Amino acid sequence: MDLPGSIHDFLLVSLGLVLILGGLGVVLLTNPIYSAFSLGLVLVCISLFYILSNSHFVAAAQLLIYVGAINVLILFAVMFMNGSEYSNDWNLWTVGDGITSLICTSIFISLITIISDTSWYAIIWTTRTNQILEQDLTSNADFFLPFEFISIILLVALIGAIAVARQ
Amino acid sequence: MLEHVLVLSAYLFSIGIYGLVTSRNMVRALMCLELLLNAVNINFITFSDFFDNRQLKGNIFSIFVIAIAAAEAAIGLAIVSSIYRNRKSTRINQSNLLNK
Repeated sequence: MDLPGSIHDFLLVSLGLVLILGGLGVVLLTNPIYSAFSLGLVLVCISLFYILSNSHFVAAAQLLIYVGAINVLILFAVMFMNGSEYSNDWNLWTVGDGITSLICTSIFISLITIISDTSWYAIIWTTRTNQILEQDLTSNADFFLPFEFISIILLVALIGAIAVARQ
Repeated sequence: MLEHVLVLSAYLFSIGIYGLVTSRNMVRALMCLELLLNAVNINFITFSDFFDNRQLKGNIFSIFVIAIAAAEAAIGLAIVSSIYRNRKSTRINQSNLLNK
């Protein structure tokens, strides 16, 4: 979006903070319904972030599909299977949890190192000359075949899901 | 600017990996899988915004990722619901049905 720079930065920082807290909430909250609602908050914030990045169609698709369909499915699943999970006390911090947190922290630190060591502005300068007219999903000839396959995949996957989940 | 957004998506990715590996509930594992896919989508959209402002190929590919994630979430939740119907429990370490 063409906002003034300071408003753009302020919105980005606030969305980033909500995303950080929401991601922690999905993983660390003990009640699975709280975790599912925190996932919904994360998905809505990601959609607002897409609007800030000039990707309005993907923002609308994210709101419709992720928040409207996938998050609702997850909430239904959480509400159906919630009986005996409440009695688990969460003080079972096993050795595996510690090892996984060490590995995930090392993955994160290595990714930060790679990101800060790459010269992004040289890449921007070399791709500046390759810009042609703006196109969309149906006019770009590279994406006809994945588009048809996506429709078949969705059809087959949803028929399969209904067949598995029936009584 | 670009690096901050990439660091944010890297953070979501590593939080998703941690949640996916250490969750004892199957539905929470599927939720962390959606976090992983959304982190990858943020990367695609950011690169498409910075490098490919005319042709938007990153945007188109992230539409495909969203559609695949929807199909996979539907199938995963169908499997989890049928396991719950048979076993009355959704702990991950009891899913050794193929282990006979």
